Amino acid sequence: MNLYSALFYLLSLVILASTALAITRRNLVHAVVYLVLSFFGSALLFYLLGAPLLAALEVIIYAGAIMILFLFIVMMLNVERLEERFFPARQWVPAAVLGLLLAVVGLLAVSTQPGGDRLLKTAVAAPSAFGSYVFQRHWLSVEIVSLLLLIALAGVLFLGRDNDKGVSEEDR
Amino acid sequence: MTFSPMTETSLLAAVCCSVLPLVAFAVVMIGTRNRRRLSAGISIGAVGVSLLCSVFLLVRHWHADEPLRFVGTWLISGEITVPIGVLLDPTSLLMLVVVAGICFLVQVYSLGYMAGDPGFTRYYAFMSLFAWAMISLTLSPTLLQLYVFWELVGLSSYLLIGFWYEKFSASEAGKKAFVMTRLGDVAFLLGLLVVLVEFGNLDILELNSLAPLQRMDPAVITLSALLIFGGIVGKSAQFPLLTWLPDAMEGPTPVSALLHSATMVAAGVFLFARIFPFFRLSSTAMTVFLLIGTVSMLLSSTMAMVARDIKQVWAYSTVSQLGFMIMGLAAGSFFSGVFHLTTHAGFKALLFLCSGVFIHAFGTNDMFEIGRRGGRGLHIPMVCMVIAAAALSGIPPLSGFFSKEAILGALAELDNPVWLAAGLLGAFLTAYYTFRLLFIVLFPRRQEPEGDGDGKDGGHGAHDPHAHRQEYRAMAGPLLVLAAVTLVLGFAHGPLERFLHFEGAAAGGHGPHWLLYAALGLASAGVALAYLEFGLPGAAQVGFVERMPALKKLFAERWYLDRMYRWLLDRIVYGMVSRACSFNDRKVIDGGLDGLSRGTIASGRRLSSLHGEMIQYRILVVFAVVALLVLHFFLQ
Amino acid sequence: MSIVPYSHVMTLATLLFVMGVVCLVARRNLIMMLLGLEILLNAASIAFVGASLRWQHMDGQALALFIMAVAAAEVSVGLALIVAVFRRTGSVDPEVLEPEPSTRQR
Repeated sequence: MNLYSALFYLLSLVILASTALAITRRNLVHAVVYLVLSFFGSALLFYLLGAPLLAALEVIIYAGAIMILFLFIVMMLNVERLEERFFPARQWVPAAVLGLLLAVVGLLAVSTQPGGDRLLKTAVAAPSAFGSYVFQRHWLSVEIVSLLLLIALAGVLFLGRDNDKGVSEEDR
Repeated sequence: MTFSPMTETSLLAAVCCSVLPLVAFAVVMIGTRNRRRLSAGISIGAVGVSLLCSVFLLVRHWHADEPLRFVGTWLISGEITVPIGVLLDPTSLLMLVVVAGICFLVQVYSLGYMAGDPGFTRYYAFMSLFAWAMISLTLSPTLLQLYVFWELVGLSSYLLIGFWYEKFSASEAGKKAFVMTRLGDVAFLLGLLVVLVEFGNLDILELNSLAPLQRMDPAVITLSALLIFGGIVGKSAQFPLLTWLPDAMEGPTPVSALLHSATMVAAGVFLFARIFPFFRLSSTAMTVFLLIGTVSMLLSSTMAMVARDIKQVWAYSTVSQLGFMIMGLAAGSFFSGVFHLTTHAGFKALLFLCSGVFIHAFGTNDMFEIGRRGGRGLHIPMVCMVIAAAALSGIPPLSGFFSKEAILGALAELDNPVWLAAGLLGAFLTAYYTFRLLFIVLFPRRQEPEGDGDGKDGGHGAHDPHAHRQEYRAMAGPLLVLAAVTLVLGFAHGPLERFLHFEGAAAGGHGPHWLLYAALGLASAGVALAYLEFGLPGAAQVGFVERMPALKKLFAERWYLDRMYRWLLDRIVYGMVSRACSFNDRKVIDGGLDGLSRGTIASGRRLSSLHGEMIQYRILVVFAVVALLVLHFFLQ
Repeated sequence: MSIVPYSHVMTLATLLFVMGVVCLVARRNLIMMLLGLEILLNAASIAFVGASLRWQHMDGQALALFIMAVAAAEVSVGLALIVAVFRRTGSVDPEVLEPEPSTRQR
């Protein structure tokens, strides 16, 4: 076991543990913070797997932007005081069974995959090379994604409108 | 086979011969249903051209030494190729001429017989269909193609027997003919399947070579031969499926003439002749055939001795003559069977057509009634009928004598004398019942035969036959032609034998000398007995059988075969099989389907709750399906 | 230098995915459900990056990039929807989205 594999297992442990903590927290702020930790672990894993640009973007977008957005919403809605009804048995038992089933099936699929035991060699996709690759080969996808983000922006603006007035008019 | 102009012309003629009646059928059915004379003209013209083509083919290939075979591919399924085509060899050529000739004559005759019938055009359409099916049957190069036309023959005879479908008995008789022949055809089909599975194809020429011996087990050959013979039993009305033929009299008389001579029942014997070398590979099967032929011949002869219906007598005689043919073939003499088939086609058609004239003129089927109304007055049919009846009885020098003598000769060559004795007895009975009918018509009694019997001369019936001069003439023409054929065909014995001869065929049966005299003597004895009982002035016209009530009843009831079938039908088919089927239908199948639908509805209700719940359950279902799909694709 | 067998990366992604599914299905909170979705997308990204290294091809990384973009769009719209729902109902329980009037908390 060399340094890289040790790092991999360490990171995996951190990611899994923090994710497991995140999904079981009743306090939403705690959950979000644990998930940020998990995403940091993912970013380091990306770096280890030779994707430095993605690692940076993971930190900036996921950990930085998305999770902060979550935090804002949690604080803005002030849902702390809303008690989440703790999982009724008729919900979490099927969920647990399904999770187990998915885990078993997924692991079986992974273990029977041909060539699965092939060792990954270290390699790096330099950020500049990766960027020019994406813009040369996937320029159309980049355009589509930008369009998607624009539409999302428009949708969020529409949804976030203060329409209390309209609703109250309807109610009357 | 290379195509030379010679063979191409033959092919063209053969195709014309078989397809023209079909064209006529289609044209009459679609185009000219309302134009009576045009329809009849088209139909008769088509058959006439067929007849010309067939005669042309016969003359052209009179000296051909090897069969001509043209086949194209019809269907391919896996390793099985189904060819379609024509096969021209002596057997099919001879049969072709017989079929086309009889069809043509009967259609001309029908111009008179069917005149004024509301279904006139329909009748001609069906006649054309019948001609097409039978002609194509004779030309078939494979048993499968033959089977297809075999069924078509069955269909068209069903249509024609039940032609007057308004009459209950006619439609019943049609159904009976159809169903009973179908029983045999099931066996035939099974036999074909056995041959197909074991032998690989159904080509007639290949079956007739020695190839089956190498590729099939002897037991399988016997089995398939017996099964195929089942079809012959049904079609040719042999024991035990013989009762449909007498009932088939419900159709118009020309139809009976066609049915009994050259088409429907002849198809069975023709099939026998067609694959005669194959049948001969199994001696067990041949013995069974011999037995069945003998039994049907004797049974139907006895039935004919008490019948009063003129057509029914001829029907029974058909069964017995078919039995004769099968006996001849099964005795190993190919020629005698085919020859008798040919001659029989001529004189039996003649008999029916003559009876048709009487029936048309007097409006009754009863032979005593016909005699009393003056059957003697119609000279042409009367003379023709005497000629044909003499041929049927085997009196020289008419055609029937020669062919029957050939069969008896073949029987005489068998080791067991029982067959010969049965054949001779049959000859005697044939002569007896034939002349019984003749004498009853010729020497009528004024009253019922149980009366004093003083009347010597029947008065003319109320129905004046001369009112229909034109119809009468149309009917008389074919009669004269057929009578001429009956008179001379016997002398074609030698050339026909050379023509039909093929390698490996046993030499035509020529029995010992005394056989000729014995047959002649027995036939004369039959005639004499009939004369004593029915012809002699002052005779009581009561047959020796009719003096024994038990026997008479037995014969008149057809040996209780119909009752037995009815009983079997009631007890076994209705009582057990159909009840079991109905139970299966109602409880098992219906119940199963109902249960299935009920279960589907119930489980659907239960499953639908998966979608009616809140969103997380739906997501759960989605992922469960994903998991199952992964399981399916990765682990299969 | 070699890191680990490819299947180990996939195992990690699988386990992460399962956690995301459990979070998505079991938590009765719309915000937590959205977090579960993020975990699912992250698991997919890890699988793609691992595959990219295994086949020495940059398409996998490109897909991970697009996944991030889609995740950003989805989160922004999703959070806006949650805010709208909260404004209308005062709750983030997914049950309030049910059409049955009996369970609607208005």
